[in-house]
Amino acid sequence: MANFLAIAIVLNLIESAIALSPIPGAKLGFANVVTLIILYMYSFKDATALALLRVLLVGVLAGRLLGPTFYMSLGGVALSVIVMGLMKKTNFFGILGVSVIGSIFHVAGQIGAGIFVIGSTVILYWMPVMLFVSIPAGVITGLIGKKFISLWGTWHTEINH
Amino acid sequence: MEEKKTQKTKRDLYLIVGLFVILGGIFIYFQFFKTQQEASRAHIYYGSTSDPIVTIDFQKQQVTVNHIQSVPNQYDNVYPLIDENQHTVTLLGDYEINGVRQIVVITYDFGLRTVQITEEQSPNNICSREGVSNGKPLICLPNRVRVEFETNTEFDFIT
Repeated sequence: MANFLAIAIVLNLIESAIALSPIPGAKLGFANVVTLIILYMYSFKDATALALLRVLLVGVLAGRLLGPTFYMSLGGVALSVIVMGLMKKTNFFGILGVSVIGSIFHVAGQIGAGIFVIGSTVILYWMPVMLFVSIPAGVITGLIGKKFISLWGTWHTEINH
Repeated sequence: MEEKKTQKTKRDLYLIVGLFVILGGIFIYFQFFKTQQEASRAHIYYGSTSDPIVTIDFQKQQVTVNHIQSVPNQYDNVYPLIDENQHTVTLLGDYEINGVRQIVVITYDFGLRTVQITEEQSPNNICSREGVSNGKPLICLPNRVRVEFETNTEFDFIT
């Protein structure tokens, strides 16, 4: 589990360094692939714990604890992991669907938190593009997650995804 | 078990395609809508207030200072500083280097109706990388400075 956390942190830091997104401070959440994997391989509680720890540690490492980016990441990750947990429970969608839904809510959560942190609704200007781009991001993380789990599954026990 | 799985995968695909179409449509609509509009004014905000500190009026070609930044005594100047020759507005940002707050320089162009953050200090200088804008909000989080545009919409018959 700790290994997964480390990977998640590294992914998050790399993503911050590349600065992919149009909105200052927002991220597309490729580190979420780890959250997704933990959600399916372990439990919702584990996924939540890992996700929150990841945001916290990245905040500390990047020196931006309690800054606007931190709150936006927190908002995005928290909303995303809760919705993904619920979606997984309904067993209505597969891992790809859950990932895409998670990605959308990750962006929504970041935008929501962003409004509070910036103190203005200016961030909504980017909402259409961010929500749209979150779809391929979710698909990619979903595909990676799915592949990882099936590979893991061939080495270990069966996991329902 | 296998059938459930393919059922779920099918739903995933429908979901993805559906979302792609809906969100894509919304995105395209807003993109089109945005390019239709022309900026009438740009407002510079500092901090979390919804009251702009400086307003740049492209139509009247003038820059107005609405408020003065309250800065500690150690800083000599009164901010914001307007330089009408250079077409710049200088504010004192929140980002500190060795405890000293840094300035943020914003350049405007009446003719092109654009604004750009040209000089500032922030991690990786992300703020000045945002480039020239004629409508897209410029947000400089580390300095808590933002520039938002006001536009003429075709529905605006009141002058």
